[in-house]
Amino acid sequence: MDMLTLTHVAKNFGEKQVLRDVSFAVPEHTVFGFVGQNGAGKTTAMKLILGLLTISEGEIMVDGTPVRYGNTPTNRVVGYLPDVPEFYSYMTPSEYLRFCGEISGMAAKEIKSRSEELLRLVGLKGETHRIKGFSRGMKQRLGVAQALFGHPKLLICDEPTSALDPAGRKELLDILTAVKEETTVLFSTHILSDVEHICDQMAFLHDGKIALQGPLDEVRKRRKASAVTVETERTEDAELLRQKFPYLRVSGKRSLVLEEAERLPEVMYYIADRRLEVMRIERQETTLSDLFMEVVGK
Amino acid sequence: MNAFLKKEWMEWTRTGRALVLVSVFVLFGIMNPAFAKLTPWLMETMSESLADAGFVTTAVRVDAMTSWAQFYKNIPVGLIIFILLGSGNFTAEYERGTLILAVTKGLPRQKILAAKAALLYGSWTVLYAVCFGITYGYNAYFWDNGIAEYLLFAAVGTWLFGIWTVALLILFSAVSRSSSQVLMGTGGVAMGVYLLDMFPKLDAFLPAKLLKGMELMQGVSRPKDYYAGAAAAAVMVVLCMVLAAKCLDRKQL
Repeated sequence: MDMLTLTHVAKNFGEKQVLRDVSFAVPEHTVFGFVGQNGAGKTTAMKLILGLLTISEGEIMVDGTPVRYGNTPTNRVVGYLPDVPEFYSYMTPSEYLRFCGEISGMAAKEIKSRSEELLRLVGLKGETHRIKGFSRGMKQRLGVAQALFGHPKLLICDEPTSALDPAGRKELLDILTAVKEETTVLFSTHILSDVEHICDQMAFLHDGKIALQGPLDEVRKRRKASAVTVETERTEDAELLRQKFPYLRVSGKRSLVLEEAERLPEVMYYIADRRLEVMRIERQETTLSDLFMEVVGK
Repeated sequence: MNAFLKKEWMEWTRTGRALVLVSVFVLFGIMNPAFAKLTPWLMETMSESLADAGFVTTAVRVDAMTSWAQFYKNIPVGLIIFILLGSGNFTAEYERGTLILAVTKGLPRQKILAAKAALLYGSWTVLYAVCFGITYGYNAYFWDNGIAEYLLFAAVGTWLFGIWTVALLILFSAVSRSSSQVLMGTGGVAMGVYLLDMFPKLDAFLPAKLLKGMELMQGVSRPKDYYAGAAAAAVMVVLCMVLAAKCLDRKQL
């Protein structure tokens, strides 16, 4: 069953058409990556799902119930993590979670146990200071905790990893993968590697429409293989490599680019065998625009 | 709604707003009789300089009415301070986006409005009662409150004016995005009504009439003169709340 469906959704702000014809479905218990450039309309789409903006055309269903603007009943089963979560700075994390629990009508005992559980999960256990002094990363962690508090059926995260350092990012992605059992996750990002790590399915928003969507394996196949740069200590070594492997492209006095990454083992074997001194061997990440160019350029 | 009410209470106390307001209203409560008590001494001290200006000071008679006159002069100032501190109640949440998380958890917007309104009306009532109580107590101790007619009615009248102003605050808070817009709206309408009150024909029907507690206590006017003004205020309060509810429902948070 699909937890979330968008059917021919359009949204315009006056003359500006942000979403034209967006349709996709998020199956239950999956992690769904919602990808797009800055300004593509990801946050707008999410706000429509949450009933925070009026829809211009189309329909959105959450758990079989249509979404309405204003007081939508669907929000009772949705957990939301905004891109820059803002809390009441005069409260402590546990006070804020208690507030969340009370709004949802949870019993006091349950609130207490759930707060402890979630604060431990996000690494804020034992934090008794007020939110006023929190760093952005800490606010993000509290954001995850409050989003998961009411055991939501659908968890919506807007660029959840943008404020975190690499360690924090990994932790957050681990959390999102872990909660897949209990809920369905929709998260937006412009970091392709995050999508690659944990998503089951993805959709790529461009020009107001979904340009690419489907299970990640399919998308992976379409992704161009990354190029590798090899830089040697000495110019002669680079020349040597060029002669041995003519498919290496020269890109500097001592650096060469290998377009076909599958051939890297051959080159590395040669380098090791000859004990050539190498400055670096670096894989160029396919950027979003590369993938996008590929898809939209068709 | 209780959860939100608790949160509002926490906000007022932890941000220091409650403390400031309680201090101001207690201070006024004490100042009213204090000023009256000090008037003879003041007059005596200034009598020489007054004599130079041509004023002759005779025996100064001070009673509860002097203190009550101060009360009715100071209470509007208290109300202004209250409105100033309350102007950011809604708008600060719009600016920071803190309401979004509550709304996306399924908390109806009406309950948010109800909780904020309850605290605003409630705190105005309590603060007013504190100020009134202190002044009344001192007046009873030093002089005699019996000389003032319709004491309670006059007090309720001015309290109602405060309620009316708070209703305006709530309406403008639901409609505007910034606290300065709220202040301009509330202040503008209150000022406007006050100015219109200068026309004798309109005087009977405007809420501004409710501020004229002294007239009532001195026996210059009668309670029935105030009924129209009170009714107008009450109707407007209801209207403001209904409009505020409608606007908040549609507001983009």
